[in-house]
Amino acid sequence: MTSFSTAVRGAKADHDVVAGEPAPASPGRRSRRPRRPRRRRNGLAGLLFVLPALVFVFAFMVYPLLSSGYMSLTEYNFVYDASPRFIGFDNYVAALQEDRFITSLTNTFTFGLFYFVIVMVSGLTIALLLFPKLKMSAFHRSAVFVPLVVPLSLAALIFLWILQPNYGLLNHLLGRVLGAESLTRAWLSDGTTAMAAIIVLALWASIGFVTILFLAGLQSISPDVLEAAEMDGARGLKKVFHIILPNLGETYVLTGTWAIIHALKVFVEPMVMTDGGPGTSTLVLYQHVYITAFTYFDMGYASAMGYILGLIIMVLVVANFFIGKRKREDAA
Amino acid sequence: MVRSSLWSRAALHAVLMLLAVLFLAPLVYIVLNSFKAPDEIFQVPQTILPRTWTLENYGEVLGSGFRNYFRNSVVITVVGVALTAILSALAGYGFAKLPFRGSNFVLMAVVGTLTVPLVIFLVPMFIMENRVGILNTNLGLILPNVAVSLPFAILIMRASFISIPKEIAESATMDGAGVLRQWWSIMLPMARNGIVLVVVMTTYAIWGEYTLAKTLALDPPAMPLTVGLTLLKGEVWQYGVLAAIITLAVLPPILVFLFFQRHIVSGIAAGAVKG
Repeated sequence: MTSFSTAVRGAKADHDVVAGEPAPASPGRRSRRPRRPRRRRNGLAGLLFVLPALVFVFAFMVYPLLSSGYMSLTEYNFVYDASPRFIGFDNYVAALQEDRFITSLTNTFTFGLFYFVIVMVSGLTIALLLFPKLKMSAFHRSAVFVPLVVPLSLAALIFLWILQPNYGLLNHLLGRVLGAESLTRAWLSDGTTAMAAIIVLALWASIGFVTILFLAGLQSISPDVLEAAEMDGARGLKKVFHIILPNLGETYVLTGTWAIIHALKVFVEPMVMTDGGPGTSTLVLYQHVYITAFTYFDMGYASAMGYILGLIIMVLVVANFFIGKRKREDAA
Repeated sequence: MVRSSLWSRAALHAVLMLLAVLFLAPLVYIVLNSFKAPDEIFQVPQTILPRTWTLENYGEVLGSGFRNYFRNSVVITVVGVALTAILSALAGYGFAKLPFRGSNFVLMAVVGTLTVPLVIFLVPMFIMENRVGILNTNLGLILPNVAVSLPFAILIMRASFISIPKEIAESATMDGAGVLRQWWSIMLPMARNGIVLVVVMTTYAIWGEYTLAKTLALDPPAMPLTVGLTLLKGEVWQYGVLAAIITLAVLPPILVFLFFQRHIVSGIAAGAVKG
């Protein structure tokens, strides 16, 4: 009864916004009749509410996605060529045979593997440490979260300064304060330590985010489960491994997905700190795509490599989802 | 029993303190350096605390070309955040309360864009903006920043509208309010937590955005802070000024964060879980 009258009024009210629309005629089963017109009216209004945002998303994301998909199948140098020339999958084939591409892909995976494992383990560990409410826990939490709001390229500049061999903080602490002169070095002039520096910066900037996700997961574990576990004598690490971790399946999938995407999209850190150097030892795929497109203006080839990166991310995200799902089913 | 928990509590405190130092040290270092005179910055062995505190670097920021980067960042962020807030509040309401045929599919597609690496969009964006003639303008950065910020913002707004009980909308309808007025005067105030979250998160995202700016703002006059300052990474003589301006660029977001912390943290968690 009530729903009928509101439905009718709803349709009338919509009229104010969507004027000029003919009254709805809705044949159909009698029992559903009152609902139909309302839904359709709402539908048009809903579309109008959503439309302005969709225009942006279409113009700057959907269209570019399609356009660059087409461009990846063409030869198109933005400076020399008047228009793209269709060449099929040649760009993809060429990429797989290019040394720089293989190097940048390897570097991306090296970065991604270290980043992923460390950010997941330490994010979870820090979340477990921050979970109990202690005196000063507000301060401890803030300290871990604050890097999240520091612009990454500026954080990279700060790290660049800290790692500077002559007047940087790190060598000063190692050499003068700890007296370990032999450990000091030009951190960014060596491939291995340069890669390590990039990983450390990425970790510094984003562990807080992963910690927040894991803290939310911990909060969602029912207190009854924890209490029951303590009654059974599960404490400390035993509690963590037997009760807490198995209950974090969903959080793991969510956080893992985020970390995979974030790891493979690494760009700002090497771009600002090392320019991919020394040599190509920290050149990552994202950066290789960027340089191909905007230094050499080889738009077709760059688009193809961008698509390969997107494809790799998608495959890993889907795999992570299914592994997580299977684990949860095993646990259940 | 009690003693062991006391010990473990002390150990926990020590570990957390060490973590706090690790996370805060880079920021404290840059702030302290911004108060050092130029010759003290390059002194070996260096000092941690400035020997003489000086505001010289900050004075130079005011008189330098840095002001330009700052202004670009402020304009792009303010306009971009306002547009994102309005558009996501509209779209979030549409998805949450006024479902249309295919709306779930559209929502999935919008959210799906979150997994696509930005670099795939850059080439078409660049060609498009070049054709339209908005490369190297603030507008040319505002528009793509809004587009990139929208999917997450829409998720947040949709979640905060969904939690409003249906009866409230229905009673408003009975009063004869049109859909748009209903949204503006009844629903929007009830979703204000969502709006605050969108505004704060988008501010951080756009203020700190690097990739779009690096691609679409090629000339220094059009650059925001995040890109403009990186041009100076080799210019050693500017380091004191650089420290000062990094401090100025980093402190406001940190203060806002400390103010809204609980809100932001629970928002990230909720948004991520629902998304």
